[in-house]
Amino acid sequence: MQPLAARETSRFSRARPPPHERRVRVPQATPSRDKQGREFVAFAVDVRFGGDWQENDIVGCAYRGSGALFVKRGDAYFPAAFLFGKSVDRAPGVCESAPDRS
Amino acid sequence: MSVSNKPGAERASADFELPLSSAVLPPATARASKSFAGMARPKTMRKISGAWGRRIFLSVMLAGSLLISAMSLPYFDFETLPPFVIEKLPLRFETLWLASLRVHVAAAALGFPLCLALMTRALQRRTAWHRWLGRFTGLLLLCALLPSGIVLAFDAKGGRPVTAGFLLSALIVGGAMIIGVRAARRRDLVLHARALRHVVGQMSVAVVSRALIVGLDALGVDPDLAYVAALWGPVLASAAVVELISRRAPLWQHKFDLVERMRRELSPFSLVLRVRAFLRPLARFGR
Repeated sequence: MQPLAARETSRFSRARPPPHERRVRVPQATPSRDKQGREFVAFAVDVRFGGDWQENDIVGCAYRGSGALFVKRGDAYFPAAFLFGKSVDRAPGVCESAPDRS
Repeated sequence: MSVSNKPGAERASADFELPLSSAVLPPATARASKSFAGMARPKTMRKISGAWGRRIFLSVMLAGSLLISAMSLPYFDFETLPPFVIEKLPLRFETLWLASLRVHVAAAALGFPLCLALMTRALQRRTAWHRWLGRFTGLLLLCALLPSGIVLAFDAKGGRPVTAGFLLSALIVGGAMIIGVRAARRRDLVLHARALRHVVGQMSVAVVSRALIVGLDALGVDPDLAYVAALWGPVLASAAVVELISRRAPLWQHKFDLVERMRRELSPFSLVLRVRAFLRPLARFGR
């Protein structure tokens, strides 16, 4: 969250003002596995602009082994560098749990 | 956007800040005889306050325009996208939208200061400069700023109300610019001034709107609501203010003429003359 907060300073622009507060939630107690068997943990970032908390401002997942972060935009997931303006391609298949084999 | 070079009344009307009727003091007040001295003072005060108001407005808008331009420089970094763009993604026509954004920002960075410069009396007196800069600015606005702004409007955050607000502003700018150019070609400089005030008024929305967004954020207003309010408020307010300014001067002149006529009618000397004119036939009849 710190790099994101550092990047989003108040500007004289039409961009959304930086939130007054942010918090990270991890909605699941145990990690999930994607189709390739890698473990990941879903997370959500909530923001507050003075009133109530707005949930799921950013939704994504973190991979336990590599520490890679992905965030959702539209229907696709992108590497978290996307939030810092980097040109990145969508990452297909990440943050999606593999169907149960039972 | 041509301006008349003719002397006298037409020359006076080239002063775009006030229409012809109120731009020049009537001879009666200029000589300021005792009975009209009181009338000259508020007129002069109004002119002085109007001139300072105009200077302050132009200065604030120029500072705001330069600040927006400075803040918009990251839009031209082709490696890194700024937060304003990131929060929009994904877009239906991303390449078109990004190109429109850059054209819009560049056109506004050049066009708004030029519009402000064209509003200054210094440039209005230099008619040749005013004409050529006006033509260039008009083309810039009509061919670059407006089309790119319309493209951006359809993907504005806030949905249809915000899209409608941007389109209304674009309609006012485009319509007023065309009316203003046609009026200048007919030498109707009062209408030209009024129309071009609307153009500048709508362009000032860029500065006022951003200031409102910052202010409403400081007050803890929800950013989505603040965005809509900070757009529609300035768009409607600037159109209303321009109409008020454009109509106030002729109204003031009308009131001035009315008061002047009433004073003439009610002055003791004219009253004596009227009484004498009325009594004289009666006196002759009495003889």
